[in-house]
Parts: sequence; structure tokens; C-alpha cells
Amino acid sequence: MNNKMMGVLFASGNESKLNELTLHRTTASLPFGGRYRLIDFALSNLVNSNITRIGIITRNNYSSLMDHIRMGRDWDLNRKNSGIAVFPPFVLNTAREVYKGKIEAIYTILDFIKRAPEDYVVVSNCNVAANIDIVKVLNTHIEKKADVTVLCHKAKVNSSLRVVITENTEGFISDLHFEETPSEEDKLISLNIYVLRKDLLIEYVENAYSRGHVDFEKDILFKEVENGRLYAYEVEGYAAIVDDVKTYYAESMRLLERCVREELFGSEAKIYTKIKDSVPTVYGKNCKVTNSLIADGCVINGTVENSILFRNVRIQEGAVVKNSIIMEDGVVMENSTLAYAITDKNVTIRENRQISGFLTYPIVIVKNKVV
Amino acid sequence: MFSRKECVAMLLAGGQGTRLGVLTQKVAKPAVPFGGKYRIIDFTLSNTINSGIDTIGVLTQYQPFELNQYIGNGQPWDLDRLNGGAFVLPPYQKAKSGEWYKGTANAIYQNIDFVDRYNPEYVLILSGDHIYKMDYSRMLAFHKLSNADCTIAVINVPIEEASRFGIMNTRPDGRIYEFEEKPKNPKSTKASMGIYIFTWEKLKKYLILDEEDKNSSNDFGKNIIPAMLEAGERMFAYEFSGYWKDVGTISSLWEANMDLLDASSEINLKNKDWKIYARNAAEPPHFIGEKASLINSVISEGANIDGKVENSIIFTGVTIEEGSRVTNSIIMPDAHIKKGAVVDHAIVGWNTVIGEGSVIGEPQDGPVGGEWKIAVMPPDTVFGSGTIVKAGEMAGGK
Repeated sequence: MNNKMMGVLFASGNESKLNELTLHRTTASLPFGGRYRLIDFALSNLVNSNITRIGIITRNNYSSLMDHIRMGRDWDLNRKNSGIAVFPPFVLNTAREVYKGKIEAIYTILDFIKRAPEDYVVVSNCNVAANIDIVKVLNTHIEKKADVTVLCHKAKVNSSLRVVITENTEGFISDLHFEETPSEEDKLISLNIYVLRKDLLIEYVENAYSRGHVDFEKDILFKEVENGRLYAYEVEGYAAIVDDVKTYYAESMRLLERCVREELFGSEAKIYTKIKDSVPTVYGKNCKVTNSLIADGCVINGTVENSILFRNVRIQEGAVVKNSIIMEDGVVMENSTLAYAITDKNVTIRENRQISGFLTYPIVIVKNKVV
Repeated sequence: MFSRKECVAMLLAGGQGTRLGVLTQKVAKPAVPFGGKYRIIDFTLSNTINSGIDTIGVLTQYQPFELNQYIGNGQPWDLDRLNGGAFVLPPYQKAKSGEWYKGTANAIYQNIDFVDRYNPEYVLILSGDHIYKMDYSRMLAFHKLSNADCTIAVINVPIEEASRFGIMNTRPDGRIYEFEEKPKNPKSTKASMGIYIFTWEKLKKYLILDEEDKNSSNDFGKNIIPAMLEAGERMFAYEFSGYWKDVGTISSLWEANMDLLDASSEINLKNKDWKIYARNAAEPPHFIGEKASLINSVISEGANIDGKVENSIIFTGVTIEEGSRVTNSIIMPDAHIKKGAVVDHAIVGWNTVIGEGSVIGEPQDGPVGGEWKIAVMPPDTVFGSGTIVKAGEMAGGK
């Protein structure tokens, strides 16, 4: 055993619930937090935990992802002996179509996994924003002699499908089930990030595939519960699962809380992203900005409150932006008002427009639109 | 074998920059932070790669660690190349002798072997202490067209300031017939920018000759250029127009930073065709708090602003606490301005903490007449509550 880990990331998932936001991209490449894309958190966690052999499985709309990752240099993953391998949708000779679930997806890259010298593997979705030390997770996994360690956090169930965990007194999982009804109280919710021995993953996947199973959670994990060796590892601090527009908006807005930013960005473990060499942001003589997270390259001459601005956004004189998320290259022209809105990349709001969504129903303006 | 390069750039980055005082006590001048997220050397490095020159030797000597680490393999400037790229060239021990770089010309002389490896036709000599955007490929084209042995980039300066510069006196076709260092009665306004293109074989000859002269100070301006002129070599002035600023003094460093706040200034960093690259600090976007107020300022990634900021340049990772006021100032990376502090017309060095209620740079008895002097706080220093540093003072200096 060498106690080293490799990573397998799923770039797709829940695209249908993110509606317009994933029209042109995978969930993994969804912009988040002013200058990141969701996959940056997964990649940075792996890199910060000394994991440098990473396979990324894509399914559709993956060109934005390829453009973002390139050779992985911005995450220090352009390595000679490991690094990033992006797997475009791949049709096995024995299968008739592009894979359906995670089991088939992993099956298509089994060669990559088998060839890798690492003994452990981290299997993760790309829709979680958190800063996680996976070395700690592995140490606990080994110490507890777990078969699979399931990373989870305490949160309320919202409108999206979640895997809810019940643990016994030793921290092992005694029940796993899906829940979709919003809950009042905090529950232990799976982040769909798993650490396990590589040979065990191969065994699980080969067995499940040969029986025609597709769903990693339902067909493998749920069935393993009875063996009592699934360990629940609770991630402390901010962890966000982003899988529909509502959670995207709510989790983004939580970044305006100082303690949340401290948990996500404050440690030695940095979150890396593609370097774009934007200039610093320029604030004009008549701007008014409060409680906002603002990336480089913006030019702000209007009013911005409780909002997140991505790179190279321009807010012109007299424009008012409140409780909104404006992605890269957005422009809000003179005397327009924007509230509770998410504008995708390169959206222009022309002069004197009034646009407003609602806290629980933010309005989404799709990429490249001119309003 | 290395494949041949038409032009190799040599960047003189060994200068101490004594006039920047506490800011260059531990780092060389080219490594001094500039403009919110850059270092001074980023401008020259970015100009080089943007001009299509991909092989550059960076000659370091004074306090080289920071600069060496910053340049690394040159990747942020796209200078990590299979053939060519960025190379940090400190003085080194040779078979018979080893010595420090005695002057700018000697620094190149000691690296003749490095240049020869690429067997270039031309060599571009640069210095790492100016803020400007310039396409060297146009200067190279001019050099070739003029069939020159040496081309010197010049910029027109006001005649009343010309006596502070090295002035080139030229014929109408641009050919230099005389070079005057800081002339009392300048005949022209063409000031040398310290940027030279030489035909390498010619330069090599003069470097070797200069080295043999024991009385020489081995300097381009003092020795090489005059020697070539005297010998009647073809020397031309290439006129550059646009923003160019020497940031060798506290006031010029402050002014050049402030130029970024002036929308009409020519140093527009937003031009996508001529990006200025820098090593990235991997910081999150900056945050503007509930109580913050911002007027006419530049703010970089990772900063947390809760105080009042006006006409200032705030670098990466700076914290400005509630109730503090920063005006007309430059706050360098990771500095921390605590509650109630007032910073006015000041430069605060990197990682420095300004304690609660401190008053930095503001004249104690109301505004003084004439020029308002800049107060300077050293890097890596913690100043306690109530620290008072007067306008024009340099704290922590020797």
C-alpha cells in the first residue's frame, strides 16, 4: 500500500435543474464566487491534498470546461508523470450509447484507473464549493478501516434531491436514502465525494456494470450500508452543493458573509483558477458600493449593493445593482436598475431598464443577451 | 544545440534603487510592487513577450532572491519555452575569476556566452525600472531599415527638463551625431530611455574593447555609446511617443501609481492587445463592506475594505478596517490599516500593519503650502496604535 490518492471527477450532473445557466456549459464550469468555476474547488482541494493524477469525466457541453482547464497549469497540474486527463464522452464497443450513470462512466475509464500507481481514489462530483483537506479524510478512512468514506455536511434539505445519512455512534453509516422535501432541521447530507481503496472501486464498478446497474449511490452505496463499513466524514465549515438556480443564488450570496469567505478562502490551502491577467478594479468618482464581492477588471461608476461581480464587469453612472450576480464581461448601462438577478457572461443591460426578480426566484438572463 | 534567435533581450535588473529608501532595502527596484497587482519589472517583461521576443536574460545582482523567485521559470509571462524563455543571470564564478557586475556593460560582457548560445543577429538591452508599454518589434524594424549598428529609443521631454536626461542630438534622418549626458544647455529634447538595440557582433566587439580599458566604468551611457559614436558607427535614435515613467524616486513612484486613476492618462492597462502580465497571488475577489466608502480608487483581489478610500491604489490582500481613512495613498500587498487610522499622501510597504488611530502622512498643522510630500512606511513592519509619521517622512529608514 502506498497511501496515495488519485482523483476521478464527474463534470456533469443536474444540468437540467440549472436551466439557462448550463445551457452552454457543464455544471463543473459554472462560474461561482466572482472569479471561479465550480470545478476549481474540487481541483484545488485535490491539488492541496497532494493529489496530482486526476481524471475528469465529461458528458456534454464540455468545450467551456476544456477551455478553462487547458493543460491544468493554473492548478499546477501540468505534470510529467501525472496531471489532468479529460475524458470526453466515450462509447464502449460493448455499449450502445454514451454512458448513463456514474457506474458506466467509471467503467469507461477503468483502464486509466487500473494503470495508476495510487492505491486510493477520491470520487467526486464537481458541484461542491468547499475547502476540504482530503489528506485528513484519508487518514480517518484508514484509521477507521472503512470501505468507503462518504463526505457530508450538516444542512437543511432544500428543493433538490439529496442523499441523507444516518450514522451510528461510531460514525459509520446505518442508513442512506434520498430526500427531496425541504426540511426545517439540519440533516447530515452527502456531498457526493467519496474516498475508497482503488481495488475496491474497481470491484464495485465491475460487479455493478455486469448486472446492468447505473447509479453509483443507489446501486452501490445504498447496498453497502448493510455491511456497516461506510464511514460518514463530516466537513466542518462552509460547503455548498450547487444543483439548481435557487441554491446557486443562495450559496453565492452566503459568500458575502465574512466567516464564510474565511472558511472558503482564508486558509493556506488556496483556491486556484484560470489566470486571466485582468487589471485591478477601478472605482469612479461617483460610485457607491457596499457589502459586495468584486473581482478584478471591473469599472464601477454606479451603485452596487449586496452583489457579486465577476471579472470585467462595467457598472455605468446612475446604474443600480442590488442583490445580484453579474458574471464576466457584464455591462449595466446608465440609469438602469437590476435587483435579484443573475446575468450570465457577457450580458448587456441597456440604459434605463428596470429588471427585478425575487429573493426566492432570482431572474436569470442568459449568456450574450442584450436587454 | 540551441536554435537561432533573431533577437535576444537582456534586462538589467541589478540596480539597488537607493532613492526608494526603505522600499528597496530588501528587494531590488524591479521587484517593487506597482499598480495594485504588478511589480515594476512586469511592464518590461510583458513588453518583451508582447513584442514577440521570447528569449530574455534577466541580470540580477542586488538583493536577488525576491526577484529570482518572482520570475521563476517565466511562466506568468508565457516565457517558459522549450527553446528560449526567461533566464535569471546572477554574476557567477568563472574559471580564472569571478566578480560582481561592475557596470551595465560589464553585466552584458560577463554573459556573452549566454547570448552567443542563441547566435542572435540583434540584442535588445532593457532596464527593469520604467513603467511604459512599448512594441520593441517596431524599434527592431527601424533598426534594420536604418541599417544601424545601434538604435537608442528616445522620448521627447520638455526642454526645461532635458538637462536631467541623457540627450541625443540627431540629424533629420534620426542619425545620432552627439550624445550629451545631462547637458546644461540641451540642444535637443530627445532623452534616452535606456533601451538599446545593438547588432550583436558590433556590440560584442565594443564590450571586449571596453573591458580591456581599466579606466572604464563599464557603463553603456558613459562608455559604450560614446566609444561607438567616436568610431563613427551607425547610431540612430528611435522616437517613442506614449506613456513612459522612471519610477526611481518616491515621488515618481507615487505619481506613476496615481496616473492609473486618471482616465485620460496614456498608461491604460485595459488594452487587451497589450496585456501586462504578473505572477498571480490566487486570492479571492476583493470585498467591500457595509461601512466602506470608495471614491476614485483602484482595488485588487483579496482586499477587504471597510474604511473610507479615496484617490488611492490598494494592492492584493490589503485590509482597511472600519473607521479608517486612506486618501491619495498607495497601500502595498497584504498591508493592514487598522481602525481609525488616517493615511494621507503615503506609501505603505507590503505586510506592514498601521496601528489603530495612527496618523500617517497628514500634516499635523493643516495643509502646508507648496508640494505635499509623500510619507513612506517600510515593508514587513508592525506599527502600534497612535503612530504618527509626518508628511514627507520615511519611517524605519537608516
